[in-house]
Amino acid sequence: MNDSFILLPIAIPFIAGLVVLLISQRIQSVKEAIALLATAATLGLTITLYGENINFSIPWTGFGIDFALRLYHFSAFILVAASAFSFLFVLYSCSFMRDKPYLNQFYSYLLITLAMANGAVLSDNLVLMLFFWEGLMLTMFGMIAIGRPGAYKTAIKAFIIVGGTDLCLMLGIGIAGHLAGTMTISKISLPVDFLGSLAFVFMMIGAISKAGSVPFHTWIPDAAVDAPLPFMAFLPASLEKLLGIYLLARISLDMFKLTAGSWISILLMTIGAITILLAVMMALVQKDYKRLLAYHAISQVGYMILGIGTCLPIGIIGGLFHMINHALYKSCLFLTGGAVEKQTGTTDLAKLGGIGIKMPVTFVCFLIAAASISGVPPFNGFYSKELVYDAALERGTIFYLAAILGTFLTAASFLKLGHAAFLGKRSEQNDNVRETSLPMLVPMIVIAAVCIVFGVWNYLPLNDLIKPILGEERLAGYEFSPNTMLITITVIVLVGALLHHLFAAKVNGSGYKASDHIRHAPFLEVIYTKAEKRWFDPYDIGLKIVQGTSRLGWWIDRGIDWLYEDFAVQVAKGLSSIIKLAHTGSYSMYVVWSLIGVLFVVIMLMKSF
Amino acid sequence: MLSPLLLLPLLAIMILNLPIRSLTQKLSVWVGVGLSLWQIVAVILLATGRGCTDTWGKFFTLGLSCDNLTLVLLMSIGIVTLTTILVGWQTIGGDKQRFGFMNLVFVAMIGMNGTVMLTDLFSLYIFIEVTAVASFILIAYQRDTNALEGAFKYIILSATATVMMLLSISIMLLVVGDTSFAAVGSAVKQSQGNPLVMFAVGIFICGLLIKGGVVPFHGWLPAAYSAAPAAASVLLAGIATKTSGIYALIRLTTSVFANNESVNSVLLLAGTISILVGAFAAIGQSDFKKMLAYSSISQVGYIILALGCGTNLAIIGAVFHLFNHSIFKSLLFVNSAAVETQSGTTDMNKLGGLGTKMPVTNATSLIAFLSTAGVPPLAGFWSKLIIVIALWQNGLHTYATIAVLASVLTLAYLLLMQRRVFFGKVADGLANVKEAGWGITVAASILATITVGVGVLFPWMFNSVLMPISSFLK
Repeated sequence: MNDSFILLPIAIPFIAGLVVLLISQRIQSVKEAIALLATAATLGLTITLYGENINFSIPWTGFGIDFALRLYHFSAFILVAASAFSFLFVLYSCSFMRDKPYLNQFYSYLLITLAMANGAVLSDNLVLMLFFWEGLMLTMFGMIAIGRPGAYKTAIKAFIIVGGTDLCLMLGIGIAGHLAGTMTISKISLPVDFLGSLAFVFMMIGAISKAGSVPFHTWIPDAAVDAPLPFMAFLPASLEKLLGIYLLARISLDMFKLTAGSWISILLMTIGAITILLAVMMALVQKDYKRLLAYHAISQVGYMILGIGTCLPIGIIGGLFHMINHALYKSCLFLTGGAVEKQTGTTDLAKLGGIGIKMPVTFVCFLIAAASISGVPPFNGFYSKELVYDAALERGTIFYLAAILGTFLTAASFLKLGHAAFLGKRSEQNDNVRETSLPMLVPMIVIAAVCIVFGVWNYLPLNDLIKPILGEERLAGYEFSPNTMLITITVIVLVGALLHHLFAAKVNGSGYKASDHIRHAPFLEVIYTKAEKRWFDPYDIGLKIVQGTSRLGWWIDRGIDWLYEDFAVQVAKGLSSIIKLAHTGSYSMYVVWSLIGVLFVVIMLMKSF
Repeated sequence: MLSPLLLLPLLAIMILNLPIRSLTQKLSVWVGVGLSLWQIVAVILLATGRGCTDTWGKFFTLGLSCDNLTLVLLMSIGIVTLTTILVGWQTIGGDKQRFGFMNLVFVAMIGMNGTVMLTDLFSLYIFIEVTAVASFILIAYQRDTNALEGAFKYIILSATATVMMLLSISIMLLVVGDTSFAAVGSAVKQSQGNPLVMFAVGIFICGLLIKGGVVPFHGWLPAAYSAAPAAASVLLAGIATKTSGIYALIRLTTSVFANNESVNSVLLLAGTISILVGAFAAIGQSDFKKMLAYSSISQVGYIILALGCGTNLAIIGAVFHLFNHSIFKSLLFVNSAAVETQSGTTDMNKLGGLGTKMPVTNATSLIAFLSTAGVPPLAGFWSKLIIVIALWQNGLHTYATIAVLASVLTLAYLLLMQRRVFFGKVADGLANVKEAGWGITVAASILATITVGVGVLFPWMFNSVLMPISSFLK
C-alpha cells in the first residue's frame, strides 16, 4: 500500500466538509449523501489501513517541524473508532437534524472535526498535533454556536476553557520539545525530573481537559442543553474522550517515563477520583435528560484517568478499554436522548415518563447502555471497570472506594433516569408518541450491539485492540484473571443501588424524585445550591474576577478621564476667564500694563547695580 | 540686488499715483502680485549666490546688508504679501478701495524690507515706524467703530514704544556716538557696568516687545487683529508685527546684546508668560479672529523663549518657528477671511458645519491648526521640537516642560475652533454658504503646501537650509 494513503483519512473528510459548506441550503439530501459517503469512505479506508505500520513525513515549516504522520496500532484503532462513530452520527443526524437551521455548517463542522481528529491522532510531530488540536477547537466552537439561540455564550465559555487549557498544552509541548531536542513524538522519551514533570503536567492539562475532566468540564453540561444533540454524542461523549485519553496515554506511556509511585501518578489518580465523585454527585440530582448524561460523560472520564494514573499495566488497559466502552455506551445514551427529544419535544424529566412502551427499541437500547455505564455484568462497562478497580485497589484503598462509590451513584442515577423517562405514569401529551425513524434507530442498535459484544466476548477487544498498545514487554508477568472478590463487591453495590432506588422512589413518591433526599440532605443541600448557582465553576469565578478587575479598571479610567475631561478643563476655563476679565478693552489699562512691564524689565536689567 | 527690494515698491507707489488713476487703479493688483513674486524669486537668487552685486547701491548709499536671517525674513515677507494681495483682491470691493489698500501694502513692504536689511538702530527704528504707519491705516481701513478703536489702541501703545526706542537711541548716541549695530554691540559688551547703557537696552527691548505683542505688552494686539479687514489681518499677524517686533529682537539679541544673562532671563520669562497667557486666553474666545490673535501671542512666546535660551540651536529654532508661524498663522487668517466673507461673521457661536460647504478652507485650516499645535510631520512640529530640545540641552527643563504642555493647550483651543467652525451640524442660516473665491483658496493652498512641504522635507531642510541659517551668528 502506498504510504501517502495515510493522508486520505485527513483529506477526505476535510474536502467533503468544505464541499458541504458550499452546497446550497435547499438541497439537504445532497449534503447528507456527501457527508454519509465521506464518513463511510473514511471508515472503509481506516479499516483497510488497520494493521499497517506507516511512517510518513514531508518537510513542512522547517526548524525540525515536519508534516510527520505515524500510523501504528494505537492510532489506527482510534482512527477506526472515530470514523465509525462519525458515520453513525451522520446517519443519525440525517433524521435528527433535518430541517434544522445551519445544516450546511453542521455537516461541514462535523466532517472537518473528523479530519482534524484524524490528523491529531496520526501526527508524529508535537507541533503538527497542536495544529490539528487547535483546529478541533474552532469546529467545536462553531458546532455549539449553531445550537439554539443564545448558544454562542456557551460556545464562548467552551472556547475560553478549551483555549486556556490548549495554551497549557502548547506550553507543555514547548518545554517537552526543548528538553528532548526534537518535536517528533516517537523519538521523545523524557525522565520525570523537575522540568519534565512540568512539561508532563502542562500536556496532561491539555489532554484531560479535552477528555472533559474536572475542573475543565463546566462547559459540557451547558453545551448539552444549548448545542445540537448529535454534537454531544459526537464530541464530548465520544470523539473528545478518544482524543484526550489517547493523548494522555501517549504522554504517560511513550513520551514520559512514568512510574507507579511518582507524584504525578498520585496526582492523576486524585484527579480521576475527584472527577468520578464530583460529576456523579451532580449527575444524580439533574432533572434534564441531556444534562444528566453530560455529567456522566464527565464522571466516566475519571475512571479512565484513574486507570491510566495507576501506572500499572492492568489499570492502563482498564482505562483504555473504558475509553472505548464509554464512547460506545455514552454516545448510545445521547442518541436515545435525541430520539426522546425528537419524539416528545422535550428532555425535561418532569414532562417525560411512561414512554418506554411507546418507544420499545429506544428503551431497550437505553437499558443496554445504562447497564453498561453502571457496570452491570456482563456488559462492556463492567469489565473495564473491574480492571480499573483492580489497579486502584493495588495502589490505594481510598481510590478503590472512590471508584466503587462512583459506581453506586452512577447506577442510582441511571435507575432514576430510566424510571423517570421511560417508566412510571405517562402524561397525556405523550400519549401519541411513536417510535423514532430508522436512520436514528440503526446507530443506536449498532452501538448497543457492540456494547454487548464487547461485554460478553470481552477478550476480543482486550486481546486484539487494547493489549497491543502496551506491548508484550510491559504485560509480561501479568495475569488477567477475574478477581472474584471484586466482582462480588460490585454486584453487592449494584444490588444496593437498586434497593436504594426502589426504596427512595417509594418514599419520595416517584422515580423522578428518587434522588431528592440526597439533593436535600443536610450539608449537601448547601453545596448543591451553590453549585447550581455556579459558585464552583472556574469559568464563572474567573469571569467574576475579570469583571471585578474591569470594574476597578473602569473606575481608575473614569478617574483619569475626570482629571482630563473635567478637572483640567475647569482649571483651563477658570484661568481663561480670569485672563479674559483682565482684558477689559480699556487702552489706558493696557498702557499701564506695558509700563509696569517696562519697569520690571528695567529693574531686571539694572538690578546688578 | 538688495536695494531694488526697497526701491521697486517705492517706484510702484510713485508710478501708480501719477494722475492716470483710471488705468493704475486696475493695474495696482497686478503690480502687487508681480512685486511679491519678484521678491520671492530675488530671495531664491540671493540664497543661491546669484545676483549679489548691488548695482543700484552705487547710486544710493543705503547701507543695506544681507545675511541668512534677512533672507528668511525676506522670503516670508514675499510669501505673506502675495497671499495678502490675493485675499485683498477677493475681499476688498471696488477698484478705488483696492487701489488704496495696495498702496498701503506697498508702504508696508518698504517698511518691512527695510527693517530686515538695515544695519543701524536708527534706520531700524525708521522702517519699523514706516511699517507701523501703514498698519495703523490698514487696521482702520473699514472706518467703523471697531476698526478705529483697534487702530487707536495700536497707535497709543506704538507711541509708547516709539518714545522708548527713541529715548534708547538717543542714550546710545550719547554714550557710543554711533547707532550702527556693530558699534552699539561692542559698546554694550565693553560697558557691562554702565547703568545708562543697560537702561537703554532695557527700554529698547520693551519697545520691541510692545511691537511684537508679547505679554504684558500685548494689549493692542487682539483688538487690532480682529478689527482689521480680513486681508490686512493676514499681513499684520503673518508678518508685519513679526518683522517689526520679533525680527528686530532676534537681530539685536544675537548681534548687539549678545548673550547678556539678564536680557536672556527677561526674554525667558516674557516668552513663558506669553505662551501661557496667550493659550489660556485663546481657549476662552468665541470670536474666530480673536482666538487666532491670542494664539499668535502664544506662538510668539515660543520664539521669545527660544531667543532667551540663546544657544545656536535655539536661535535656529526661533528663526524656523518665525518662518513657520508666518506661514501657518497667515493661513489661519486666510481661512478666517474665507469664513468671514462667506458667512458674514467670525463669531464661533453662530458658525458650524462649514467643513462640507467649504472643503478647501476646511482642509487647509486643518493643516494649519495641526501645524500650529505641533503635530508631526508638519512644519510646526519640527520648529517646536528644535526649540524644546534646545531648551532641554541648555538645562532649562522647566521651560521645556511648559513649552511641551502648552502645545497641548494649543491643540485644545485650535481643535475647539476647528470643531465649532467646520465640524458638526451646519449652523442656522449657513445652509447656502459656498466655498470662498479663487483668490482666497489659491492663497490658502499655497500656504498649506508650504507648511506640509517644509514639514515633510524637514530632514533635508535641516542640513541644507536650517543649519546655514546660523551662519549669521558669530
